[in-house]
Amino acid sequence: MNAIAFNDVTKSYGDVLAVDGLTLEVPVGRTVALLGPNGAGKSTSINMLLGLLRPTSGEIRVFGDSPSGAVARGDIGAMLQEGALIPELTVTETVEFIRRLYPNPLPLDDILRMADLTDLAKRRADKLSGGQTQRVRFALAIAGAPKLLLLDEPTAAMDVESRRAFWDNMRAYAAGGRTILFATHYLEEADENSDRVIVVARGRIVADGTAAEIKAGVAGHAVSFSLGGQSAAGLDALPGTTAVEIHSGRVTLRTSDPDATVDGLYRKTTLDIRDLQLHGADLEDAFLALTKEA
Amino acid sequence: MPHYIKIEMLRMFRNKRYVIFVVAFPVGFYLLYSNLWGSQVDKTTGLKGSVILMVSMAAYGALASSMMSSAVPWAQERQSGWLRQLQITPLSGWAIIVTKLVASLLLVLPSLLLVCLAAVLTQHVSLSVGEWAGLIGAMWIGTIPFVALGLIIGSLLPPDTAQPAAMVGMFGLALLGGLWFPLEIMPATMRSIARALPSYDYASIGWRIVAGEAPQLSSVLGVLGWGVVLGALAVVAYRRATVRA
Repeated sequence: MNAIAFNDVTKSYGDVLAVDGLTLEVPVGRTVALLGPNGAGKSTSINMLLGLLRPTSGEIRVFGDSPSGAVARGDIGAMLQEGALIPELTVTETVEFIRRLYPNPLPLDDILRMADLTDLAKRRADKLSGGQTQRVRFALAIAGAPKLLLLDEPTAAMDVESRRAFWDNMRAYAAGGRTILFATHYLEEADENSDRVIVVARGRIVADGTAAEIKAGVAGHAVSFSLGGQSAAGLDALPGTTAVEIHSGRVTLRTSDPDATVDGLYRKTTLDIRDLQLHGADLEDAFLALTKEA
Repeated sequence: MPHYIKIEMLRMFRNKRYVIFVVAFPVGFYLLYSNLWGSQVDKTTGLKGSVILMVSMAAYGALASSMMSSAVPWAQERQSGWLRQLQITPLSGWAIIVTKLVASLLLVLPSLLLVCLAAVLTQHVSLSVGEWAGLIGAMWIGTIPFVALGLIIGSLLPPDTAQPAAMVGMFGLALLGGLWFPLEIMPATMRSIARALPSYDYASIGWRIVAGEAPQLSSVLGVLGWGVVLGALAVVAYRRATVRA
């Protein structure tokens, strides 16, 4: 059974195509990162999953039902990018209110504990810091014990320590066999907290797999050295080389075979090679390569 | 839904602006005015000023409460994202607007009852049980057009303009409807404007009841008509504000 299924979903705002023929399936119980730069269509996709936006074409199913049907049954919980609380209500009052809207919610104490809010239970929303407000919004997202949790850039307003605590809490929630989809433009977050990364750019999926698979799929390795004032002519013809980049006198050769490239560099050129370095691809490189304007 | 209504009331009672402007102001003005003019007797009805002022200030309080407790919070919730928070729960769309209406109606009661209580305690106003029931009942249900107007404002405008729009609407309706000054001392054009407004019809029902008479049919139809028109517009505006693009 799929928790989420997009079938050729398109969403346009006037002339702007925010989501462009998205097709994807997320089986129940997975934690998936939707990774992409701003404007890639992440938020639009999440809002469509919640029935807040309607696709221009294509179909979305959530546990086999329409998004609004799934929301009405209490199957989805979400933390959207923006959302203030009611300033006059305390944390407990707010959480209890939302909790009671769901058919089978988590116990209040469990929610407060899972969102690190036990000590703030009696505080009014207008007396909370930005990070504390985010914790309350996480509490509201899990209050109804939803089978699918959607998080749209949930750590945007958090400091490093809060982020770590947040992802620990999210993993604890996911551990019950629940499905989680989170949007982020932080590579590390996607790498560390998901078991599948879907990279989106300009409304399309450009890569889909584990973080390791995505790294491996992109050009693999790089060889770099200091070129100084010498000519770069002919470097793109070296064995294994897929791309040549030059930044402030330093050459980076993207390569599928670093041994052959280095061998060629010494045998076939007369360049004075200084400060040679070999790099394995990291997710950041993979991400940049994948989301670069075509 | 009862819990949602309770939550809405709780937050308004903790809102200083609501408590000061809507609950304390009408009572304060009643105490002031009734001390100044409370013992004057109206020549046509034979009613004391303290009784007429009780209706006027209760009407003002109810009008202020019904508009301020609907327009401003609703505009804020739409902009702040709280509405979206509710839309992604199993709560249905109609439950949200019905709750807003019911909560606003319940929030009218403190202003209404406190002015009447002040009238009884300080000016010894006394009415029959039937008159009290009729007065409070009519002045309570009669606020439906104003709640609807508040929801229209809150659905159409962002919070920074909804607040002044609701204030202007509320004071305009109160002033022109004769709640602050009797219609008789207004120029002819203002009088004819007043007669077309729901606030004048609304207060007239109250004035007739305390004079021991049945409300005029035209007043009842006026409030009813405005209630239907503004109610329908409120539903349209609400749907527009919550439409899923």
